[in-house]
Amino acid sequence: MPVTQKDLMIKPKDALLKGHFACAGCGSALAFRHAIGSVADKAVLVVPASCASVYQGSGKGVAFNVPTINTAFAASDAVASGISRALKKKGKDDLKVIVWGGDGSAADIGIATEIGACDRQENILHVMYSNNVYGNTGGQRSGDTMIGARTTTTPKGNTTPRKMVPFIMMANNARYVATASSAYLEDFVEKFQKALSFEGFKFIQIDISCPPNWRSDSALSIEISRLGVQTGIWPLFEWDRETNTAVLSRPGKKYGDKANRKPISDWTSLQGRFRGITDEELIALEKDTERQWNFIRKFM
Amino acid sequence: MVVKQETKSMTGNDACSYAALFAKPDVIAAYPITPQTTIVENLSRFVDEGKLEAEFVIVESEHSALAACMGAAWSGVRTFTATSSQGLLYMAENVFWTGYGRLPIIMPVVNRCLAPGWNIWPDYQDSMAFRDAGWIQMYTKNNQEVFDTTLQAFKITESKDIALPSMPCLDGFVISHTTGQVDLPDPEDAFEFVGPYDDPVIALDVENPWAYGSMTGPAQYSKNRRDLIVAMERAKKKIVDVHKEFEEYFGRSYGNGLVEPYGDDEADLTLVTLGTIGDEAHEAIDRLKAEGHSVNALRVRTFRPFPIEDIVEFAKKNHKLVVIDRAASFGHEGPLRIEVEAVLKRHNVDTSVSGKIMGLGGEDVPYSAIIDLAKKELKE
Repeated sequence: MPVTQKDLMIKPKDALLKGHFACAGCGSALAFRHAIGSVADKAVLVVPASCASVYQGSGKGVAFNVPTINTAFAASDAVASGISRALKKKGKDDLKVIVWGGDGSAADIGIATEIGACDRQENILHVMYSNNVYGNTGGQRSGDTMIGARTTTTPKGNTTPRKMVPFIMMANNARYVATASSAYLEDFVEKFQKALSFEGFKFIQIDISCPPNWRSDSALSIEISRLGVQTGIWPLFEWDRETNTAVLSRPGKKYGDKANRKPISDWTSLQGRFRGITDEELIALEKDTERQWNFIRKFM
Repeated sequence: MVVKQETKSMTGNDACSYAALFAKPDVIAAYPITPQTTIVENLSRFVDEGKLEAEFVIVESEHSALAACMGAAWSGVRTFTATSSQGLLYMAENVFWTGYGRLPIIMPVVNRCLAPGWNIWPDYQDSMAFRDAGWIQMYTKNNQEVFDTTLQAFKITESKDIALPSMPCLDGFVISHTTGQVDLPDPEDAFEFVGPYDDPVIALDVENPWAYGSMTGPAQYSKNRRDLIVAMERAKKKIVDVHKEFEEYFGRSYGNGLVEPYGDDEADLTLVTLGTIGDEAHEAIDRLKAEGHSVNALRVRTFRPFPIEDIVEFAKKNHKLVVIDRAASFGHEGPLRIEVEAVLKRHNVDTSVSGKIMGLGGEDVPYSAIIDLAKKELKE
């Protein structure tokens, strides 16, 4: 069922209360509010070390209004597996076990745990919110960092392509895999709810704006994420194991065709992390973007 | 009245798996490592054969084995895993997370030395590395005690006023793969002793959501750790009580549950031990006594919490303690010796203490070696 803007406003209860510590313009907190909010009466959250372990707030003022388990960096999908099995044993498997973590855990330190849970077809949904950097620790390169991005550990610009975690999950037989963007919340929440309707391991990677680490204007967060889709940097698609077919999503469909895309520099020029990016780096970034589209096309 | 039991012959790992089977855990997660493997092989067979209704999570690493148990424990169900050596080290951060998080998990450790080089034989270097992780640690001397201690561990760990994970320790191969005599109760009687886990220490609840482990300031953090210190102190009495209750049910005991003395109350020389060396020491003492020597022994059964009072009381009546350690604190002495010495000093007991590190990497410690050590110490 398509999710409309009106649907976003109807929630069982607010999942993100006042008192959260998210930065102004944080796409992750925004995505959290709407996605977790849509299942706030039956969600159980597992949060690896990530920005969400900070922006959930502290002590009695915790702003997450759903049961939340904070875990070690690489432990979240295994903890979620244990919760899911325990709930099954107790006959409470109507609850939705969701891992909500960043790209550091999903692309790097926790990827073995994630593939393990995927391999076992644990009944959980992993939402990887991507700002393409270790944000919490001050902006170091992660496996999800794009070519040309200046991070605190790649001050001259990252030279290697992104690790494409959604493709890894497809190869490991996940039940459902999708990408999303915090500029298109209806699309994200629709995929989020669709994922939760399936049994087994589901995975969604969502592009979320990160003003401190992208060194961008927090007022432009949505615009930058929208440009991420419009420049083709961020392909929006979903893949279902049963059909083994990838489908491009409505908001991003036309950018499958290179002719419809805006220049990548429209997107890079609004972010300080790409300040000083060379023409060669831009070409390499564009080439890597096309590599991702070509991968998706193989399943279309 | 002591319940009916049947004498069987089985390995220490079999004894451990029967204790787990009888306690009926809801979630088991495990990863293979020698010499622990046969415990979880047994349990997966029990599940497959329908003898045990549990979710069995076949994880991809030890880090995930304990993590899955943690998730299950947070959900309010009975959990079990087991590991050894490198596996225990690989799950390290979760071992501390479990202890400091007060999660009621039972995890027998089949003691095996640490690499390099590759060696699958026993010493206590693995579990000793987790002395300060907030777990109850009990070292067993034979197959029967493995069964008994594992069963007791559920009852201790899952008490609301304790809420500390338990690590029953058993020597790799010497116990784990060696067949011995075990008196096994009926499963129903064993389960009656443990009791159902229906009033969980912790259980997530969507009606009443809370966040576990969010950012915690110094004041609350230090309070949490002080609570852990107090819970460990309370655990001493709980271990004694549960051990006493166990004796009423099954007719077996190991000293008071914290320490097990052997021989006369007073002797010229006292051997202080952990685990199977404690059992071997009995033979040594009997032979030494037959030769006219005055030697007794104190086996420390519970290493965490450390039975300070019991050690002090025993040491007061004796003259010279020789502590045998099956692990080393490099740059210092064996860990048990360090602690025994410190405790006596603090309580102004002037009984002399010496020690020897023996049995590393599975080096055999027969009674003859213990006799040689005792004779040498008696001369000094």
